[in-house]
Amino acid sequence: MDDFTLGVLTNIGLFSFLALSAYLLLLAGEMSFGQQAFFGVGAYAGGVLTALYSVPLPLAALAAMLLGALAALLVGLPTLRLKGLYFAMATLAAAEIARLLFELLRFQRSIDGELAGPDGTQGFRGIRWVFEHGVEAADFLLLIYGLLAFVLTVLLAVERSRLGATLRSIGEDPELAASLGVDVDRFKLGVAACAGALAALGGVLFAHHNTYIEPRNFDIMLGVHSLAYALIGGLGTALGPLLGVALDIGLLEGSRLFGGTRMIVFGGLVAVLLIVRPRGLLDEQLVHRFTSRTLRRR
Amino acid sequence: MLLDLLQNTIDGIASGATYALLAVGFTLIFGVLRRVNLSFGPAIMLGCYGATWLHLNFQSGLVVLAAATVAGAVLAGAYVERLCFAPHRSGSAIAAMVASFALWMQFEELATLVLPRHIYPFPLLHEGAPFEFLGLTLRPDTLAVLGAAVVLCTLLHRLLYRSRFGLAVRATIENPVAASLAGIDPGRVFVLVFALASAIGGIAGYFIVATHGQVTPMLGMWSTLKGLLAMMLGGLGSLPGAIAGGLALGLIEAHSQWFLGPQLRDLVAYLLLFVLLAANPAWMTRWTTSRSAS
Repeated sequence: MDDFTLGVLTNIGLFSFLALSAYLLLLAGEMSFGQQAFFGVGAYAGGVLTALYSVPLPLAALAAMLLGALAALLVGLPTLRLKGLYFAMATLAAAEIARLLFELLRFQRSIDGELAGPDGTQGFRGIRWVFEHGVEAADFLLLIYGLLAFVLTVLLAVERSRLGATLRSIGEDPELAASLGVDVDRFKLGVAACAGALAALGGVLFAHHNTYIEPRNFDIMLGVHSLAYALIGGLGTALGPLLGVALDIGLLEGSRLFGGTRMIVFGGLVAVLLIVRPRGLLDEQLVHRFTSRTLRRR
Repeated sequence: MLLDLLQNTIDGIASGATYALLAVGFTLIFGVLRRVNLSFGPAIMLGCYGATWLHLNFQSGLVVLAAATVAGAVLAGAYVERLCFAPHRSGSAIAAMVASFALWMQFEELATLVLPRHIYPFPLLHEGAPFEFLGLTLRPDTLAVLGAAVVLCTLLHRLLYRSRFGLAVRATIENPVAASLAGIDPGRVFVLVFALASAIGGIAGYFIVATHGQVTPMLGMWSTLKGLLAMMLGGLGSLPGAIAGGLALGLIEAHSQWFLGPQLRDLVAYLLLFVLLAANPAWMTRWTTSRSAS
């Protein structure tokens, strides 16, 4: 596999975590403009742990996920009862606050005679754990897709369970769900925490793939992109967001067909697609038709 | 010290006036459609790029440039309305918003295809020296912007509260079904309000680039964020609220820049919005308690 293909595949994997994070909240009926904040929290936390304290990557990833979940709880607690645009704007404000805090974050130590660590707007260089431990790019790709496969298996299992049905019922009509005995507030908080942890995991992997991160990586464009990925791919199944990411990064960037007009083509396609399928390619109806057919065959 | 406070207040009101215009545009669209138009700012940016292109190729005068900015913003706005909002009128708000984001991507790429440099100069509204008045510095161009904003808001008020069109708009905001029963065509109101909002945005955009003296592709995101922020700070409830929100944002930015420095300036505005939303006061939810925001 050449470097270009490897890079495209890696990026599809990395941004899938973020798209899944946005997707989880969309299922619960909340539109977040701020998942990129937890992606950033994961990237910075994981980077600091491995680069400055020589913590092994798996441990650092776990810690980063925990921190991502905590940050999501911190944002979610005061805001999850807000509706629609109010929640979207509160998460946008939180994410911009996080990005501006990354710009203020200066925390450097001398490692092997060189200053390492976050340096405000100058970014955070030298997150080299992957290279120092002899992990090849292809192996790292396998690691990303292994983790993604694990997350997907869990999510698909959850979607077929009672838990998944509860989640969708909250997204459809929170008051009705509450009247059926669902503790909507606690459920949403749980979903927000999981979504935060998922985004943080993507962030850790992103930081270690790129070896360099800067606050600008985690701006509002990234957040809206992940929301768009989830919606284009479809809200019917956890495979939807992956399809969205693959369509944008894989098909359009990967094929290099459209050169300098990629965003014009992609933007037009998305707008037209949403007219025909407002809940994405793999929407609930399609998924339902498909699963009921396979069930009957059994 | 007192003089600095006063100077900051003046500067804040000056930048707040353009924020107020952006917020008014956003509020008009949100009021009648209950949809967020993310490509509001990028459409304005495209208008400014059109004017810059005219300036580079034909050295057009100020009036032509202003007209071109507004015309470009309205044209881009019409494209957004047809592709993102007309098809989703009774459907999904999220789909409409994501579609408007998709067109944002188009506008940004189109702008950089036509004018590929990262930054372009834009002719200033007025190049004269600033006035000195009791130790305060007053730039003639910001005074002109302030005056124009006041005139524009007055005209808008007359249009919305003293004309049949305004009555139709307000009726549609209140209840589109009842409005259509009374013989108002909501579809027509949607389109006209969209055009009106885009024109106001275009004027705001012209003032922004003609006082900053430069155009960059970042203007799109910048206008969308400032407009959204000002609209939300004003309570997402009314046009006076949008104007107050814009002025408040300008004042907050000017004072926090002075006291805390440029890095903390944006932080303060977002922090304030987050705290306000979390506290969720009644005046912020006036429009959305009767009809859902989503």
